[in-house]
Amino acid sequence: MTVDTRRPGLGSWLTLVRCEAKMVVRDTAGLVVPIGLPLLILVMNASAAGDEVVVNGRTVLDVYVLPLVLTIVIATIGVVNMPSFLAYYRRAGILRRLSVTPASPAMVLIAQAVVSALQTIIGIGVALAVAVLVFDANLPVRLVTALGLLLLATAAMYAVGMIVAAVAPTPNSAVAIGLVAFFGIGALGGLFGSRETLPEALATAGEWLPFGATVEVLSDAWAGTPIEPLHLMSLSVTVLVGGAVSAAFFRWD
Amino acid sequence: MTDTAVDAANLRKRYGGTVAVDDVSLRVRTGEILGILGGNGAGKTTTVEMIAGLRTPDSGRVRVLGLDPGRDRARLRQVLGVQLQEAQLHHALTVSELIGLFHSFYPHPRPVEEVLELVELTDRRTTRFEKLSGGQQQRLSIAVALVGRPRVVILDELTTGLDPRTRRRMWAAVERLRDERVTVLLVSHAMEEVERLCDRVALLDAGRLVALDTPAGLVARTGAANLDDAFVTLTGSRPEETS
Repeated sequence: MTVDTRRPGLGSWLTLVRCEAKMVVRDTAGLVVPIGLPLLILVMNASAAGDEVVVNGRTVLDVYVLPLVLTIVIATIGVVNMPSFLAYYRRAGILRRLSVTPASPAMVLIAQAVVSALQTIIGIGVALAVAVLVFDANLPVRLVTALGLLLLATAAMYAVGMIVAAVAPTPNSAVAIGLVAFFGIGALGGLFGSRETLPEALATAGEWLPFGATVEVLSDAWAGTPIEPLHLMSLSVTVLVGGAVSAAFFRWD
Repeated sequence: MTDTAVDAANLRKRYGGTVAVDDVSLRVRTGEILGILGGNGAGKTTTVEMIAGLRTPDSGRVRVLGLDPGRDRARLRQVLGVQLQEAQLHHALTVSELIGLFHSFYPHPRPVEEVLELVELTDRRTTRFEKLSGGQQQRLSIAVALVGRPRVVILDELTTGLDPRTRRRMWAAVERLRDERVTVLLVSHAMEEVERLCDRVALLDAGRLVALDTPAGLVARTGAANLDDAFVTLTGSRPEETS
């Protein structure tokens, strides 16, 4: 029997990414939080924070508000939205269905990650555009570093999201677990006000967790101040732990 | 090259303490339509899932077109089409988007238009999966199983839940596969369907193969009036009662 073992090629990948993008765009409610919530926080804080210079010509808006806003974009997409799609695909039998085609179900995971990355880029782009054009925000002192940090932070939030997708038995529970994880690391990481108002132990924990660490490193990149290795290590460890946990516990059916 | 498309020998599978499939052997000829009949829990789905490589048998051997579903997984996926029971598709994608997606996975697929016609969904092509009726979803599920021009097709509960008219349309689609010499494993508990479509029937009961014969042969061997009665004689129950 001569059967070629050709794997699905580039055309197949593009089709899959396009399909995943349509799924995300048609899930309009899912777009409100990652695009809308950060904008709301930006608008509410921007006018008050825009004038006061902190360091290197960067204002409170640049150094404190924008890092938080961008972190919210990355975290809501990575921790809440992406796992809810993956949990739905598993629950609906779609991952299993794909496993009997030449496409591996892992292709869906990767395509969904690509689409989530596009969504993150759009979310960050919109927030930055509004901040710069409407509220006179400044770009980071260290722009290239900031881009690298955004990549690392995205990987860390995906890793948290993969843990959520691995442990959630149903799509609904994935949303619930994702939201709890988001608000948990968010509350400790400065989502509802400065971490300094938290008890010291919680503030330290928040700084170690990926949300707080992301806010800190982005803040440093914007201000041009040195980035603490602790925060980079926290994000890197999150990527490794998330990868290991999801590889061990992710179920395909 | 033999004329055997599917060769399953002494398959066994247990889940915890329950034996789901107990020493089942099947040989399906190229171009044959084999019905796999039995009540709920008879082991039908587990048997075809082992043939499709979705489950690994505890013991026994499977070859599909000479390929081992475990070792030759990638090659088997190119020539096998599977319609799974209760598997849904992306709910927000349309009929033609979904067929197009599966179309992109295969090296020599059927044109999307042709598949749409085959399952009579051409007029629903821009409808999202979630807006389709149960019967239309079922037909789409069959469409994506056929788009890769498979040589062997597994259809699990092809017409369960379909109205009589749609059921007949699906039967016509399977008959077209017969014309193309595609080998079909048809899991069913509908006697009429099996009688009409299948060259031979494998009758499973409590994980064991109790008979493997033509529909007429089963009737003759049991001295029953029809396949329904033959089923009762061989398994001691009616398929409807156990489902």
